[in-house]
Amino acid sequence: MKMMMGSSFPEEVLEHVFSFIERDKDRNAISTVCQSWYEIERWSRRRVFVGNCYAVSPAILIKRFPDVRCLELKGKPHFADFNLVPEGWGAYVAPWIAAASSAYPWLEEIRLKRMVIPDDSLELISKSFKNFKVLVLSSCEGFSTEGLAAIAANCRNLRELDLRESEVEDLNQSSGHWLSHFPDNYTSLVSLNIACLNSDVSFTALERLVGRCPNLRTLRLNRAVPLDRLAILLRRAPQLVELGTGEASDLRPDVLSNLSGAFSRCKELKNLSGFWDVAPGYLTGVYPICPRLTSLNLSYAATIQSSDLIKLVSQCQNLQKLWVLDYIEDLGLEALAASCKDLRELRVFPSEPFGVEPNVLLTEQGLVSVSEGCPKLHSVLYFCRQMSNDALRTIARNRPNMTRFRLCIIEPRTPDYLTLESLDMGFGAIVEHCKDLRRLSLSGLLTDRVFEYIGTYGKKLEMLSVAFAGDSDLGLHHILSGCENLRKLEIRDCPFGDKALLANAAKLETMRSLWMSSCSVSFGACKLLGQKMPMLNVEVIDERGPPDSRPESCPVEKLYIYRTVSGPRLDMPGFVWTKDEDSALGLS
Amino acid sequence: MELQLGLALPSNPTSKAFDLNYYGIEANSKEVDHVIGPCYTPSYENINDIINIDNNNNNKRSFGQAFENSTRDRVVPRTLPLLLWNNNRPNEEDDPKDLENHSLFAANKNVGDGDGVVGWPPIKSWRKRLCHENQVVRAWNNNLMVENGYVCGGRRASNSMYVKVKMEGVVIARKVDLSQHHSFETLTDTLMDMFRKSCEKNSNNYKLIYQDREGDWLFAQDVPWRTFIRSVQRLKLLKSSG
Repeated sequence: MKMMMGSSFPEEVLEHVFSFIERDKDRNAISTVCQSWYEIERWSRRRVFVGNCYAVSPAILIKRFPDVRCLELKGKPHFADFNLVPEGWGAYVAPWIAAASSAYPWLEEIRLKRMVIPDDSLELISKSFKNFKVLVLSSCEGFSTEGLAAIAANCRNLRELDLRESEVEDLNQSSGHWLSHFPDNYTSLVSLNIACLNSDVSFTALERLVGRCPNLRTLRLNRAVPLDRLAILLRRAPQLVELGTGEASDLRPDVLSNLSGAFSRCKELKNLSGFWDVAPGYLTGVYPICPRLTSLNLSYAATIQSSDLIKLVSQCQNLQKLWVLDYIEDLGLEALAASCKDLRELRVFPSEPFGVEPNVLLTEQGLVSVSEGCPKLHSVLYFCRQMSNDALRTIARNRPNMTRFRLCIIEPRTPDYLTLESLDMGFGAIVEHCKDLRRLSLSGLLTDRVFEYIGTYGKKLEMLSVAFAGDSDLGLHHILSGCENLRKLEIRDCPFGDKALLANAAKLETMRSLWMSSCSVSFGACKLLGQKMPMLNVEVIDERGPPDSRPESCPVEKLYIYRTVSGPRLDMPGFVWTKDEDSALGLS
Repeated sequence: MELQLGLALPSNPTSKAFDLNYYGIEANSKEVDHVIGPCYTPSYENINDIINIDNNNNNKRSFGQAFENSTRDRVVPRTLPLLLWNNNRPNEEDDPKDLENHSLFAANKNVGDGDGVVGWPPIKSWRKRLCHENQVVRAWNNNLMVENGYVCGGRRASNSMYVKVKMEGVVIARKVDLSQHHSFETLTDTLMDMFRKSCEKNSNNYKLIYQDREGDWLFAQDVPWRTFIRSVQRLKLLKSSG
């Protein structure tokens, strides 16, 4: 490329300077300075993040950024995690892999979230990218152990294989377990997460793999690996930093002492997870490493009760992140608050989410204690059965540094249990005091007023989740007109309809996406929005049949609106409708 | 069901829209509310005050205004109660959630998040499975421990594992505590006893089927007890032919 007139630096220098600029926002900014900067920047961008795979097409991406090494894509909307998105909706990664296989031969990293990836694509990845290093499949589906076998067999430089929470089909292969497809001279594994696999793992293959990879830092096993085998693995890999155990139901003293010994030899171990069906007695084996732990995930450990949890967390003075079941109870959270002064993130999951009566003594008090005792706490996910405005106010005042606050009061529309009022004021206090709040999930009894507070104070809010809340369109209007930095909005079972949506249509182009299900948005409004806003895809998801067979004023089941530069997608299933070219009937 | 209330009919009038059968197997009362129910504009007394008027171009109407005008023609007037049929439903033998057909293999993933609302509470599927399994195993363990003379220390966790049971042809469903059973014999005995007044005496005339975690209906006797107990969501007794 020629040096542009007027430019005082040769390209190579600029390129070198740009190599220090990593954040997408910053790179986007420098690309707007002038034409030559735009060109240099686009040729040198190595890392691309596409938050919605339908917002842009592979062709457009490749045209702009010809030499990408790390690609991250997200597919289905977040509510797909809770079965609200019908099967077959989309998020197919195959076209992306196909395009990348010819355009990006030097691709090193692929990270996918909520996408469908078939075995064919995995095979294509394994054969197309000679320097392939990192594969992270988060909440993905569509593939089997066959695809994993291809990755194992062909990716000589693989460092990371992380299947977190994906659904993997296990195919019994006569050629042997997929893990044994890693060649004998393959030694570069750094991170392996197979915790989501339901089936047995070939322990011999696993042990040999672990034994010959000296750089292995992260190993997350699945349930099928029993605890007595774990000690063997730990002895082969004492350098582990992150470990996910398997199952451990029978307490045997010899296994326990073996394990204790192995654990104490792992001087770098900081992050523990797993513990399915673990007999509480085994926890004593973990005590020696507790003071070093910074991250602990006990949210699968349904067999550990409050007293054992208290004993455990009281020894984890350096804990920064804790995921736990509500068996920890208020008492356990008090102990946590007293012992773990460095805690940054807390997630408390429900042990019996569908029970009507509380089965544990976990209330709003537990969260209040932690908010009082842990000055660095900024990220919370909390399931409980009762809440009060008082408690929320206290939490807000204690923790103005809160950035992510997700509260799920299990029964929809539950009022303040002390006053029987709505929780508007409580959540209002949260948004008012926590000025850096980026993510918020609401629950409990809420009127339009809470949205007025959110619109007024939630200026940094990027993601908002709303369920069974509000009285009228005013609520939605407050959010859309007030929250300047809103990127993702997901709503279910709220009486929000056409008016607020249409009045704030322009806002939707500034956001990544909007999801509304079981609300009151009419098909007519969807059509209108689709017609007027060419930069939005307005997808009506309705399993009852064609929306135009019902009156236009009838509410649609589900609505997914997202901005895009590549027009309506071509892979929609039968239950998704969007505008077509002439927008006449609004049929796809 | 008659609709002679001066409707502003939609441009594509069709009687299909009001045909219950059209909505197939998943129409429950909540769904119907949405489909046929509130086809009206909610109250907007204040919205006109706050809709952003496009001040830049006074000739163009803003979205709010445009929409206001068009909806007057389109929207079905509020006064129409289109919910007649919803309130006086004919005698239903099944409760709304059971309008699914009795096909044994009707995969019905959305029904029965523990008989609650779909996708609520917001927990990922695999966590829900874990919860369910743990509940069953705990109930089992606690009962086994009691049987073997151990005392389960004062935990508040519920030991019981109630699932809904329906018998074909019987209006009222029952609930059975599966944690009290360890074999199909005792279970079917208990079930027949429960429905004693409503059915034929001979238990051989009924087949027990169950709905698993994936929503599929399977014959209970086809699987080992342990498999059954880990994934059962609800039960049905079908009259066997011949």
